[in-house]
Amino acid sequence: MGPITLILLVLLIGAILSLLTNTTAQARGVALVSSFSALALSIWMYLAYDANFDTVTHYAFEESGTWMPSIGIGYHVGVDGIGLPMVLLATIVCALCAVFSWTEGKRPNQFFALLLLMDMTLIGVFVSLDFFMFYVFWELTLLPMFFLIGIWGGPRKDYSAIKFLIYTHIASVLMMLGIFALYYFNGTASGTYTFDIPILLEAYRTGALPISQFWLDFIFVTIMFGFMVKMPSVPFHTWLPDAHVEAPTIGSIILAGVLLKMGGYGLFRVLLPMMGVASTWFIYLIALFGLMSIIYSPFAALAQKDLKKLVAFSSIGHMGFISLGVAASALAGMDPARIVAHTGAMFQMFSHGIITCVLFGACGVIEHHTHTRIIDDLGGLTKKMPKLAILMIAAFFASLGLPLCSGFVAEFGILSGSYGTLPIFVMLAAISIPFTAGYHLWAVQRTMFGPYNEYLGDIKEIKWFEFLPLAIWVIIFVILGILPEAWNPILSMMHTTADYFITSGNVLPIGGIHVAAGGAFPW
Amino acid sequence: MVDYTALAPVGILVVTAAVVLLAGLVVSQKKILGYITLVGLLVSLGLVLANWNIHVIFDGAPFYGAIVVDPFAQIFNAMFLTVGVLVCIASLKAYGDHPRQDEFYSLMLLATVGMMVVAISKDMLTLFIGFELASMATYAMAGFDKKDPKSIEAALKYFLIGGLSSSLIVFGMSYIYGLTGATHIDAIAAAFAATPGLASTPAALLAITMLIAGFGFKMAFVPFHMWAPDTYEGAPSIVSALLAAGSKKMGFAAAFRIFIVGLVAMKVDWYIAFTILAVLTMTVGNILAVVQTSVKRMLAYSSIAHAGYIAIVFVIVSYYPAPDVAVAHAIAGGLMHAFSHALGKAGAFIAVAAIGYMILSKDGKVDDPNHIDNYDGLGKRAPITAFLFALLLCSLAGIPPLFGFTSKFVLFLASIEAGLLGLAIICVLNSALSVYYYAKVVMRMYWGEPKGEAFIESPTYTFALAIAVIVLIVLFAMPFVTPGDSVYIWAETAAKAVLPALEV
Repeated sequence: MGPITLILLVLLIGAILSLLTNTTAQARGVALVSSFSALALSIWMYLAYDANFDTVTHYAFEESGTWMPSIGIGYHVGVDGIGLPMVLLATIVCALCAVFSWTEGKRPNQFFALLLLMDMTLIGVFVSLDFFMFYVFWELTLLPMFFLIGIWGGPRKDYSAIKFLIYTHIASVLMMLGIFALYYFNGTASGTYTFDIPILLEAYRTGALPISQFWLDFIFVTIMFGFMVKMPSVPFHTWLPDAHVEAPTIGSIILAGVLLKMGGYGLFRVLLPMMGVASTWFIYLIALFGLMSIIYSPFAALAQKDLKKLVAFSSIGHMGFISLGVAASALAGMDPARIVAHTGAMFQMFSHGIITCVLFGACGVIEHHTHTRIIDDLGGLTKKMPKLAILMIAAFFASLGLPLCSGFVAEFGILSGSYGTLPIFVMLAAISIPFTAGYHLWAVQRTMFGPYNEYLGDIKEIKWFEFLPLAIWVIIFVILGILPEAWNPILSMMHTTADYFITSGNVLPIGGIHVAAGGAFPW
Repeated sequence: MVDYTALAPVGILVVTAAVVLLAGLVVSQKKILGYITLVGLLVSLGLVLANWNIHVIFDGAPFYGAIVVDPFAQIFNAMFLTVGVLVCIASLKAYGDHPRQDEFYSLMLLATVGMMVVAISKDMLTLFIGFELASMATYAMAGFDKKDPKSIEAALKYFLIGGLSSSLIVFGMSYIYGLTGATHIDAIAAAFAATPGLASTPAALLAITMLIAGFGFKMAFVPFHMWAPDTYEGAPSIVSALLAAGSKKMGFAAAFRIFIVGLVAMKVDWYIAFTILAVLTMTVGNILAVVQTSVKRMLAYSSIAHAGYIAIVFVIVSYYPAPDVAVAHAIAGGLMHAFSHALGKAGAFIAVAAIGYMILSKDGKVDDPNHIDNYDGLGKRAPITAFLFALLLCSLAGIPPLFGFTSKFVLFLASIEAGLLGLAIICVLNSALSVYYYAKVVMRMYWGEPKGEAFIESPTYTFALAIAVIVLIVLFAMPFVTPGDSVYIWAETAAKAVLPALEV
């Protein structure tokens, strides 16, 4: 049994044990042991990554077994330079979330069980190399989040939970149709029916599927739709603000920190190898989705009265950078620039995952202590909560893209790397920068500085179990923002992978994808 | 001397039914009869599972090929018996003190015998006899709570519509016999294949329409579904479990045997008719399920929607005259989905029975114990029942890690493989819609405010629910634990048994 199966099992068993406990202390104990074991295992996987890397398949820690061989369903897991950082992200975020919810008093056994289940299903998505498994985990992530929003959520939780469930479920089932088509056409062409992701993508990429452009595009579009809703990309983002506003703090942290990354991960894992074969205008479409998100998010955020909703909209913009970077790196252009864009997009996934945890964590702390998140009701919190203020200001600055934080590294990489292939998109995306800075600074100014709103009463300083996770996340994103690439544990691994994706010819065509004039519609 | 061992599961049930009925006259402790029934069902189920892959044709006297025990029959037998076991366990509680429980158990056994006879028939006449046996027994069961006017109404509706559907079936069969001179399904198929124009004669079209309508009533296809919600709602919940999970699947067993073989032989383009039927059934079922306020009625409509999903098997088979992998996946997926739906729906109705029982015994007089308002806060009041019910709903909604997901996955996969893109999209959107009303029940159970203090959960009901859930999870995960994918292999072997042309 390899480390990946072990992580999944540790979390699953932890979830079951946690469900059986009676008190907060017991449930928390189980959750801490289980989530930190998973974290330790993922760190060990990181350290042993090079030694276990298979240069033929380009995956590490691969395990495969049969599940339903007669219809080609297998248990196939493995990680590479895009999957492993996501596993690390999920384990870091979930382990610290277990600390953050130290005193959770409402149905603690179910709460911690769902937290661990969430962790497990997210990791499952990032390690699956079989579409059946991938889809099972992809669907399973819905359930813990549905219950987290529904049971521990705010006043409009019914509406938000069901909207979240139905919206993302529709996206998933359409994605499933694309997977079916891919499976079937590969089966008829090659004679072996399989859901194995590397095999199917290889068949699609090399043009081994004897099907019309319509079906190639159908496969691409359905899968893209599934990912775009999950990311979420404007105009498929409407479920996100609702879900965030009503979700409990932990739910928001995991939702924005890790769950949205499933969509981004899918772009790299599944869509990128397909881009060379599907109609090329889809690449522009993805870039356009990214651009719309980037431009839309600051303006939407500026208008928000609720601090948490503001942060939710900031996520949409940051996820837009990922789409833009992926699209730019796929197009034909200078390899070094494309690698920069690609690495940036990968790094943005990790970086945003960490930064947004602090943002939502801080919102949660403020709500917990002052019982409001309405920006106008807050003010001058630095006077009462100086420790929180430091962390929160750090995170807001990181989120607006301040140098020395990881967000800057990622977004700078994306914009500079993309300029070569998508100059107009980059120019337009740059419009958003002052507004992004604006809404962040304005929000900080209105909540943290100015006169203290006496109406809030005498509020206490942030508690240690809230402080510790936030502080660790801040340290992570600062360190990742400062370290040069060679020493940067995440960035260097991503760079190697980006290098392979771009230049090897095994994922994208060498030199990138040339777009015919106008990127015509072949059908 | 003919070897009858393959028929032992049916024989055991017949004997058990007789024993239960006779013992009921003399035994004072009638509760024991439930356990006798349970033992009979379990032994029978064990025999079916042990011999799932046998292929015995009873040629010559006394059956002359009318009875065939093949993997297709066995998969349905296993389905009926599992449902029977679940219902039997639940009735130990529901009818444990009932003065006429001997009749209930023997009726239930006879209903199961009837269903199994349908599954093993390859001749229209035996099939019809089994069909009627099961129907008659279930008519009586639907009205078993004879002091409850709703139960009587349910039974009457069910009886009238059932009688109509039986007569339509016989009408259709008589025309088929007139055209081909045969009642054996293979002989009919051969006759149609031999005379190409025969299938498009008005008499043949009329006959097929009659058969579709007749079986359509049993399977509750829209527009033949009107009786189903009223009957499922009015009948005692555990009888509804038997009706929706067992009796309905009997309709599928018959329709699979007749239509799949018949359609391939006849090569008539029925696929548009079946498409309309399937799409209407799933869409109407789902939309009406959304607006229900009674959980039991919602389950009834959801069962109609599920019939629509299974009906895409007929679409694919009739769309594809030359059987290939899509057809194999379709039939196998249809069988798997029938199985997962039988378990999920039987479990769900038993959960409704358990919850209704708890509400009536604790909260006293309520107008409708199945109303969704009474489910508020069940997660706190009856944690185990609520949890198991939620998992059963997940299986029905097609959410992993339950077998309902696997079966839907294979079924929808087949429709893409057949190239029926529009149908596949309608199916998945319907499936997504159905998540809404299942989730609504789960929401009420888990984040509604409890209306009273905690219930005392009946271990018997909980046991039945737990079995259903465990089987659903095991069927999902079993191939993973013991490689060799027994579930799918069984379904595919069954598909090949019903349509030998798939053996390519």
